[in-house]
Amino acid sequence: MHPKERRSALNRRDFLLRSGGAALGLSSAGGLLAACGNSTTPTATTGSNGQVVGPGGYRLARPDQPPVLLKYWEDPIASNLPVETGGTFNIYNYPQYLDPAAMKAFGKKYGVTVQLTSFQDINSGIARLAAGGVHPDVMEMTPDNVERSVVAKLIKPLNLDYIPNLKNVWPSLQSPFYDQGSRYTVPYTTYATGILWRNDHVTEDIASMPQPWDIFWNSEAYKGKVALLTEPRETIAMALLRKGIANINTEDPKLINRAVADLKQLNSICNIRLDDTQFQDVPADKTWLHQAWSGDMLVGCLDYYTFSPKGATSKVLSYWKAPKGHVPVQNDCWSICATTQKPVLSHLWLNYINDVKVAKSNFLNYNGYQPPLSELHPDTLISDGTFPEFARDAILTTEDFGAGSLQEMTLTNAGQAIWQNGYAAFTAGG
Amino acid sequence: MYPKWLWSSFSLPGVVWLVLLFLVPMYAVIGVAFGSVDPILQTPLPAWNPLDWNIGWMDQVLHELAPGGIYWAAVVRTLWYVAISLALCLLIGYPVAYYISRHAHRTKATLLILLILPFWISYLMRMLAWVNLLSPGGYADTILRDTGVSRLAVDLGLITQTNWLSGQSATVILALVYGYIPYLILPLYAALDRIDKSHLEAARDLGASPFQAFLRVTLPLSKTGILGGSVLIALPMFGDYYTPDVISSAPSTTMIGNQIDYYFHGGPQPTVGAAITVVLSIFLTIMMGYYIWAVRQASKQLETL
Repeated sequence: MHPKERRSALNRRDFLLRSGGAALGLSSAGGLLAACGNSTTPTATTGSNGQVVGPGGYRLARPDQPPVLLKYWEDPIASNLPVETGGTFNIYNYPQYLDPAAMKAFGKKYGVTVQLTSFQDINSGIARLAAGGVHPDVMEMTPDNVERSVVAKLIKPLNLDYIPNLKNVWPSLQSPFYDQGSRYTVPYTTYATGILWRNDHVTEDIASMPQPWDIFWNSEAYKGKVALLTEPRETIAMALLRKGIANINTEDPKLINRAVADLKQLNSICNIRLDDTQFQDVPADKTWLHQAWSGDMLVGCLDYYTFSPKGATSKVLSYWKAPKGHVPVQNDCWSICATTQKPVLSHLWLNYINDVKVAKSNFLNYNGYQPPLSELHPDTLISDGTFPEFARDAILTTEDFGAGSLQEMTLTNAGQAIWQNGYAAFTAGG
Repeated sequence: MYPKWLWSSFSLPGVVWLVLLFLVPMYAVIGVAFGSVDPILQTPLPAWNPLDWNIGWMDQVLHELAPGGIYWAAVVRTLWYVAISLALCLLIGYPVAYYISRHAHRTKATLLILLILPFWISYLMRMLAWVNLLSPGGYADTILRDTGVSRLAVDLGLITQTNWLSGQSATVILALVYGYIPYLILPLYAALDRIDKSHLEAARDLGASPFQAFLRVTLPLSKTGILGGSVLIALPMFGDYYTPDVISSAPSTTMIGNQIDYYFHGGPQPTVGAAITVVLSIFLTIMMGYYIWAVRQASKQLETL
């Protein structure tokens, strides 16, 4: 799951999203019918060499294991081809995750009309793409979905000659473990999962606690003001990490069931809520303690005065994340869709989005999620006044990624079912 | 003379509508519930032929819907929420419908328009409005707090704290009542308005008090309206997921509709969502069957009057 898959939103923009989501839900039968035409060859959980494989048949990609080299299902386009101009360039992305100004400038530069088509969550986005419901040129992608998208031939191989800006990206993500050599993806944004809280209400020094995640199990005093993310992977991973289990991609039912049992305790402790509106609810004083992505702290600092009561100061916000090896980190990517009619221009989009000026503007002026650019270092962002010192923990660096990091990655289908049912048991509230 | 088929043909658009927009999608859901899942794309692969049905998913769902299963708490909660909401809707809605049909003479049209007004605004928007009104510092929250209603609700055990949006069952139930009550009042009003006043006059002439006349004449004669309105609001309530999602978003208020929604939002088990939908549909069909039977019985009673 993903920060943009926000499900309980309150502001006007998010309300519109909700309306769309409701419409989507009401038309689910239609969606089912649309998806019915697709059939791919089933794959076993164990590969021919005995390794555990993902839905696409590749070894499961993990940061601390040799990178996965995805096969080319067709040759990348040749270098030095002329750029397609005219017509419409279709971008497929989460809503409100890309600065309209950036799209407009790109369209103007290459003489095309840029059109954004949104998906509410990456799974339904991929399903719609596979069903032929959309024909985008480029799409936002998540690392755990790259493998199956390649095997299903939904995304095209890249010719990196067109993407020199990849050098602007952190070294740890220039050839990521889930896509060695950036054959199908280039990075977009990054985030870590930690705790966001109001230090004017929450009296504990969370960052100094022996196990900061314990704060949720000691939050009786903040009942009704405590929430977790609505993400199955994130919530169960939190409960695993709290017990010292760093394998957040485990498929051991015993571990997951124990984590779910721990999460269930939160119902009676603090009547836990599940939402993804921490980026506005914590600044607005509606929630005091929230599991949160690092980007929420940054958004909170950037947009604080939009959400907070008059006269308030953003110093009331605190954020904690565990050190590397104990904190889940994640990055998003861009891919070129197999449906593209403008393959060269699509490559140029992937290059454009990693242009320092464009990426920085998209980050600071629009979505608040940090692009993995070497130029954006915590020291720089704090010294130039972009972020306050107390937001330092929410700014990531290249060292946060790569070997030794924890990333919620692809599971086997059986593993995904265990996680899904575990989360259902938690949310059923028994 | 007109040919016989002419009148039958009038039902054709309705039949086509029903087949295309209800039966086919419903069979698709059944096909998904008994089908399989594409292992790569995780999209459902429906089994259209009943001979190919895979009962594994349904078996799993039935097991988890039973006491001790994953969904049991949500099932019990849903039944309670719907029962209480329905009772409250009837308690509030019946007097309103009664007043409009019997006593609102010149204001009848105005009151009916006021009843229809909520339909002009989407359900979701009305729920989101309550989120803002009930959030701490919101207008409704302030009034409830200042008038002592919130405190009283806590003292009575209706809510556990004065924050109405902190995952309270009472708030979800009140939201369900607020959202669905217009759908109950309108059929109820229609049923009450149809009652021949001469029946009441006869009851009074035979010595019945106003209350006895209501109890023995009005109430039985409005049974079809009560049942019709109740079915009309209970059916969508059972499948509701966005009311608890928007108003509460706490696991302690999850309804079975939320579980269906969850399984359809990605992951390797859309079949589970479809299987729960099928079980819920069977349950609702039984309820609907009871409604049809009860209406027939009521009609027979009317004929004997």
